Amino acid sequence: MTQRNRLTSGGRIDRSTSLTFTYNGKSYQGYKGDTLASAMLANGIDVVARSFKYSRPRGIVAAGAEEPNAVLQLGATEATQVPNVRATQQELFDGLVSSATNGWPSVDTDVMGMIGKLGGKMMPPGFYYKTFMFPESSWETYESMIRKAAGMGRAPRETDPDTYDSINQHCDVMVVGAGPAGLAAALTAARGGARVIIADEQNELGGSLLNSVALLDGKPAADWVHDVVQELGTFEDVTLLPRSTVNGYHDHNFLTIHERQTDHLADSAPAKMVRQRMHRVRAKWVVLATGAHERPLVYANNDVPGCMITGAVSAYINRYGVVPGNDLVVMTTNDYGYQAALDWADAGRNVVAIVDTRSVANGDRVEAARQRGINVITGSAVIEVQGSKRVTGVSVAALNSSGTQIVGSVTKLKADTVATSGGWSPVIHLSCHTGSRPVWSDSVVGFLPGPTVQRQLTAGGINGQYETAIALQEGLDAGQQALVKLGLAVVNVILPKTKALHVAAPMSLFHIPHLKPTSQAPKQFVDYQTDVTAAGIEIACREGFEAIEHVKRYTAMGFGTDQGKLGNINGMAVAAKALNKTIPETGTTVFRPNYTPIAFGAIIGRHCGALFEPERYTAMHKWHVEQGALFEDVGQWKRPWYFPKAGETMQQTLNRECLAVRNSVGILDASTLGKIDIQGKDAREFLGRVYSNAWAKLAVGKCRYGLMCGEDGMVFDDGVTACLGENHFLMTTTTGGAAHVYEWLEIYHQTEWPELEVYFNTVTDHWSTATITGPNSRKLLAELTESDVTNDDFRFMDWKQITVAGVPARVFRISFTGELSFEINVQANYGMYVWEKLIEAGKKYDLTPYGTETMHILRAEKGFIIAGQDTDGSVHPYDLGMGWCVSNQKPFSYIGKRGMNRSDCTRENRKQLVGLKTKDPKQVIPEGSAAVLNPNAPKPLSIEGHISSSYWSESLGHSIAMGFIKGGLDKMGDTVYYPMADGTVIEAEICSPIFFDPKGERQNV
Amino acid sequence: MSEMNNMTAAESAATKAAVMNQVPGPDVEGQSPLHHADFAGLAKRGMQEGGIHLRELALLGHLTLRCDSSNHEQVACVAAILGVSLPLTPLTSAEKGAYSIRWMSPDEWLILVPGLEAFSIESQFRDAMPGHYSLVNSSGGSTVLMLSGDNAVELLKKSTTVDWHLSEFPVGKVVSTLFAKSTATIRRTGDQCFELVIRRSFADYIWLWIQDASLEYGLVIKA
Repeated sequence: MTQRNRLTSGGRIDRSTSLTFTYNGKSYQGYKGDTLASAMLANGIDVVARSFKYSRPRGIVAAGAEEPNAVLQLGATEATQVPNVRATQQELFDGLVSSATNGWPSVDTDVMGMIGKLGGKMMPPGFYYKTFMFPESSWETYESMIRKAAGMGRAPRETDPDTYDSINQHCDVMVVGAGPAGLAAALTAARGGARVIIADEQNELGGSLLNSVALLDGKPAADWVHDVVQELGTFEDVTLLPRSTVNGYHDHNFLTIHERQTDHLADSAPAKMVRQRMHRVRAKWVVLATGAHERPLVYANNDVPGCMITGAVSAYINRYGVVPGNDLVVMTTNDYGYQAALDWADAGRNVVAIVDTRSVANGDRVEAARQRGINVITGSAVIEVQGSKRVTGVSVAALNSSGTQIVGSVTKLKADTVATSGGWSPVIHLSCHTGSRPVWSDSVVGFLPGPTVQRQLTAGGINGQYETAIALQEGLDAGQQALVKLGLAVVNVILPKTKALHVAAPMSLFHIPHLKPTSQAPKQFVDYQTDVTAAGIEIACREGFEAIEHVKRYTAMGFGTDQGKLGNINGMAVAAKALNKTIPETGTTVFRPNYTPIAFGAIIGRHCGALFEPERYTAMHKWHVEQGALFEDVGQWKRPWYFPKAGETMQQTLNRECLAVRNSVGILDASTLGKIDIQGKDAREFLGRVYSNAWAKLAVGKCRYGLMCGEDGMVFDDGVTACLGENHFLMTTTTGGAAHVYEWLEIYHQTEWPELEVYFNTVTDHWSTATITGPNSRKLLAELTESDVTNDDFRFMDWKQITVAGVPARVFRISFTGELSFEINVQANYGMYVWEKLIEAGKKYDLTPYGTETMHILRAEKGFIIAGQDTDGSVHPYDLGMGWCVSNQKPFSYIGKRGMNRSDCTRENRKQLVGLKTKDPKQVIPEGSAAVLNPNAPKPLSIEGHISSSYWSESLGHSIAMGFIKGGLDKMGDTVYYPMADGTVIEAEICSPIFFDPKGERQNV
Repeated sequence: MSEMNNMTAAESAATKAAVMNQVPGPDVEGQSPLHHADFAGLAKRGMQEGGIHLRELALLGHLTLRCDSSNHEQVACVAAILGVSLPLTPLTSAEKGAYSIRWMSPDEWLILVPGLEAFSIESQFRDAMPGHYSLVNSSGGSTVLMLSGDNAVELLKKSTTVDWHLSEFPVGKVVSTLFAKSTATIRRTGDQCFELVIRRSFADYIWLWIQDASLEYGLVIKA
């Protein structure tokens, strides 16, 4: 297929590099430098989408981020599918595969098309609220239907092969937009010595100058752009970011920029390269030079392919060498609209007429058009377009002076393209992101950035200044202002000379009247992407939705992926007219990040796959992996869960591991427990204040278990603390609670008791801990040390500094299993060495490695709690039956004392931790099961408590459980029932939670 | 076991803190947190050119000192023991020979010394340091990575939110900050050269992260 709309010369494309792409399965040719949209137009592709609600054919309207229709699905393979790509912003590459997203089975032969005509009636504006929200339960069904019918694009079903990342940047001046204003600002700031970042969403810097035939210093504007960009490139502290959309402007001058690094090269990023990068910029000053979006006018059938905005027509001609039609009618409310006709005529194609809604038009561009012999029809409008898949003609009629009524007869003109300009809307999106409310300007006929608390400057089109000379000057001013604010010396930049053109005042007109009332006229679209019409907005107003935010929600205006960039102001104008108000009186419309859709990949960056969440390893991790351990996540730690042998079920493994500990000796990697080194003469006093129990008399060389409570008296952590020296303690915490406890200590020290002389240091990672436990643990330890570890010399709850396998160690004789145990701590660099020595020496005792699951069973057999499993923030030490771990004799109070003495905490019948023994010893009560007193009582049953820990105990030959029962400590021997989901009931007797070795003799041997 | 230098009870009582030589004799090889990554092997087998150079300074002595910077006697004592003064200005460091001190917080410093000197320096502190302070050997809990190369700053920009421009972050400056989803204490030792002190348990995550983030620059492991 030939590129029938391609000019033989001109534009910024490379005609020597031909690129092949496909659209809806057909192959086409374009050139390097094309966007997908310009290549499609060059090939005469008219229909790029079917509309959301009415399934009407739609064509390309714009040339930039504001494009509402040409939103395509990209990707040559399943894994590289990308939805929501604006063809106007996608650079063409060889092999690009694209398809329309809305239009099923295809945009040209659409089975929805016929339904669409009915669908409009069936889906009135307000359908979102009226239909799909009721009944509420059906929304999920409706949603999937809507999404399919609307064809919003789809995510890939396979893993994205590309990598994305983010990078943090800092600068003095962040310039957003590299048109004339942005380039002038950046150049000024750069010459003044500032650190500058300038970002622009297009593939090259230059902004509107790339689309323009205007001369700067008598030369093409692109020459000036080239020189400026080259100079900017020479500054070490200037970063140029083309293909980078500033999508978010957040508090404290923090901006997020979405750079498409390789989207223009291929379907998937070249090896080792990043596809897209998020720049997270912290800027001292921000210059918004974001320009303006042209507004189309609202007229009957204004969505027929071939209806465009005038600036886009100029852009396609001047930048891409593409004339998107043969016979052009321009309708404009301002002088700038004439430029499209001038460019069209220069391209050698037919300008049928320029229809100017103003009764008097006399600007320089108007005169230029007249001098070229172009038919200029003033005081008139295109009231309706003919055609379905392409414009075939227009109806033109005279307007009254305010543009509210047709006053003359209708003339029909043949045309295939209608370019309209209702003026320009400053791109204030980023300014709005920071919470600034925009301000309406009657002279600009648009919203301008409102007052801001950010260190923000604006220049050019965003201020409603569309003449290049003024935009350049404003850019220079902004750059100089930034230098002043930064305390840098102001420098000057000689701006290029431009031809000053007389520009007459624009007319404030948005909605072109029709012969028929709006409700009966052919559809006049306001928001193409969500199929919102002028009639729909009028209905919304009639139904009482008067605030613009309500109108938007009623009609879905601005809810598309384009955020209503083209349509919002027109919609407000239609609402204002219907309500007989001014536009600012109907309210302002603001924007939220992001300015354009962003791939999730760019948001998540490298934080995915193996890097999604850090995995913390102990010094012995490699050994565990080699032994085939399965792992459990405890916080970020990977802890061995259990060590299955070939052919074992999980329960068989647990049984084996448990018996090994009870009968001989097991080994556990306990390195993950939090460890905090505490030094200072007031360390002991501090411990007494943060633990519920007493610490005054703990001697050097001794260890003690402690409970830590919050101010509310509820247990939040526990652990053993050893007295290493008179002023020196080592505290252990739960694995998951370590960071919180460390912070807790620091907060209390820094804010409540700064007078206490105590310092804390986290040493969790510094020590590796190998716990050997079981009747043979002493024998094993004795094989690796020359020190006396007999019961006479090394008592339960003592710690000793000895050498183990030649490595200096602190060994704590404490027990979480109820067995004789030694926790061997060595500097982590020697953790693996000592572990392997223990394994080797332990062979003769059948030393068995075990993981967290067996650890849980063993401790539950002893009734030891696990903070976080048997506590849930609502239980105090007495609820746990651990009143022995509370001392009210301490001279100074402790955290939680007052809390646990509140009336609710001391009342009768609180839920208390007890043991539960099932009537059928084989039955294991599921954790979380609720207890009732009478399972046959009428429902709802009163719940007496729940199970917090429950296991099969191979050592005891029956199941064991710990759980809460109201007043449970006084109900020993009572029976409770646990109804199951399947209707069965488990019967259990309340008992002591200490199932194994109730006298605690085994740990003392 | 060689000399344990265990304190007697009397000595312990005098300092009121437990101090021990935690390093075994030369026959026991220590394993740094990145031991399993085999940097020595990678240095030989891996890429020889690239924008990121990485080296582990393994098994150094890491001592965390917490004391009062307004206590002149303490400050003087540190200078006497180490031959280099505590950096009192936030985010700075001091270095002399094999000793370096990083400011960590208003009352906290990280002292790096050769691995075998940690105990002797700890003992000197216990003998001489007056007033309320704490000194903790944390050598097993962290390791040091030396990051250099033409793209070292880019890698840091991907990993941290800090401004690495030389005007903001000159040689000698130190920051403790979020590094990807872990933490690092980073000191600039040259225009393109940095030392990262990272925690043992996160070392493997950071190693994976650095490999991934360096992909586009090329990663050269130095032994």
